[in-house]
Amino acid sequence: MIEATNLAKKYGEKVAVAGVTFSVKPGQVTGFLGPNGAGKSTTMRMIVGLDRPTAGSVIVNGRPYAEHRDPLHQVGALLDAKAVHTSRSAYNHLLAMAATHSISTTRVNEVIEMTGLAEVAKKKAGGFSLGMGQRLGIAAALLGDPQTLILDEPVNGLDPEGVLWVRNLVKYLAGQGKTVFLSSHLMSEMAQTADHLIVIGRGRIIADAPIKDIIAGKQQTRTRIRSQQVSELADLLAGEGVSLNSSENETLEVSGLDAHQIARIALDNRVLIYELTPLNASLEEAYFDLTKDEVEFHSHSLANSGGPAPEGN
Amino acid sequence: MSTSTTAKAATPSTAGGAGLTFGGVLKSEWIKLRSLTSTKVLLICTFVAVIGVGTLTAWLRGTIIEQTMKFGGAPTGLPGSSPSGMSAEAAEKTLPPGLELYGIPNGGLQIGILILGSLAVLFISSEFATGMIRSTMTAIPKRLPAFAAKAIVLVVVSYVITVVAAFVTFLISIPILHSYGISMNLQREGLLPAIFLGGLYVAGVALIGLSLGTLLRNSAGGIMVLVALFFVLPFGTQLLSLVPGKFWLHVNEYVPSVAGGRMLEIGHRDAYIDPWAGGLIFLAWILVFLIPAVFTLKKRDV
Repeated sequence: MIEATNLAKKYGEKVAVAGVTFSVKPGQVTGFLGPNGAGKSTTMRMIVGLDRPTAGSVIVNGRPYAEHRDPLHQVGALLDAKAVHTSRSAYNHLLAMAATHSISTTRVNEVIEMTGLAEVAKKKAGGFSLGMGQRLGIAAALLGDPQTLILDEPVNGLDPEGVLWVRNLVKYLAGQGKTVFLSSHLMSEMAQTADHLIVIGRGRIIADAPIKDIIAGKQQTRTRIRSQQVSELADLLAGEGVSLNSSENETLEVSGLDAHQIARIALDNRVLIYELTPLNASLEEAYFDLTKDEVEFHSHSLANSGGPAPEGN
Repeated sequence: MSTSTTAKAATPSTAGGAGLTFGGVLKSEWIKLRSLTSTKVLLICTFVAVIGVGTLTAWLRGTIIEQTMKFGGAPTGLPGSSPSGMSAEAAEKTLPPGLELYGIPNGGLQIGILILGSLAVLFISSEFATGMIRSTMTAIPKRLPAFAAKAIVLVVVSYVITVVAAFVTFLISIPILHSYGISMNLQREGLLPAIFLGGLYVAGVALIGLSLGTLLRNSAGGIMVLVALFFVLPFGTQLLSLVPGKFWLHVNEYVPSVAGGRMLEIGHRDAYIDPWAGGLIFLAWILVFLIPAVFTLKKRDV
């Protein structure tokens, strides 16, 4: 459980996070989505106390992160895959992290095995590829078997097998009642992994809702029809609240009517339809819609803020 | 939030461990120190170099005493002075200040200061440079225990290396000085305090190094400031003593390297500053760097 209240961060004059309030609940995967410089990383760093908030507060599992007696058991965080001393081996890095909480060597070997690092564990972390670095970061996050997992762009640089593994892992952990908060710029990935979505833009929360609502709410359902009698059908369907769009020959995109209503009208008028496909709005569309609104809405204040806030990794 | 979710969050995790303890943080910092090959090589090299320079010092001072014995300690070495008319003990007393035999075990101290001090800078600045500091501070969100553990590990390592190297130098110097007719033993006045205080002095330099690394977050910058403080500043203040006026005459005695070095001369050598006062001035220098370092580490984003 993560609860942020009016959380804000300024770097000098630049506003990175402009007073956000949200909560991340246990038992589900919460995605954190936003364009570069939107304040995702800054927000995540403030949760574990790496960045000091300019205003507001954030608590994890009931109290500020630093007040916990066993921080690594409360929160596992992957904020920066390169948060490792380059000359130290992956094994020794994890061993040093584990030692702070008296976590056993057995657990260290367990997370190495889990993240598929066994073969390179004794090698210097500085020589790791981006993907291997991510795996090491995830291994470190899992060390304390934490109640809350915070992952900043976890699939960045991972191979398809790794992406699938992370997806299954976070779903499994959420299924066990843990809180999972992950950011990603890959919206298709988010659509497959997250149950709930918090969208951030220019340091402000734009949307905070179940992912289904975000996709459904922003876009009317459209239906694609293919028929040889497109123009005739268009006349029959036209009406209040219905929009029609024909981009290709023998194809019509309809919104305002569902597939069932269209089929009924076609049958009643003896029009032959050879395709009737409901088109679900993709998360991409919903997302661009959301952020477009945000930018338009704030365009006047944008000019004053003096450019984009730092992404700050 | 429902009560059931809070209850879930409170269930203990299966990874075991007693939570965050200072002992654990100390162990973690010790693992960090010993798991870097470069650090291990550097520590061994320091140990060898300190002993090497100390041995050279013993040999040099033996030679000086031999010369003094031959020429009767006459500073000009006039041929008229009686040759071999002086005992080793008498010759030893003519040694100029700063070359006393009790200081031999600390002959290589400057090397220790340079390398162990730089290592202390690197111990934290390399974490800032690589990003490791974010892992460290996520595991230890209160931050200060991490700094304290680093300080303790560095103090113990520098102290042990310096003192052990000093004792080894002492053992090597026994036969060398014996060949010049001088007996070197632990009963020699000032020898044991010099050895143990030498360790403290280097440990203090390590604390200054750690503080500089924390304040500047930059390896090259931290080491440069450390070198300037201990190897360049004393020359500068020595030149200042040539400036007319009483104030400038003793400025040199207050710089960290001179005050810290003075601490090792308990019961010896009259100077403007008492060895105890020298030690206190050096302690004040440590705090001048340590306190702002602790404060900024707690305050700043990492």
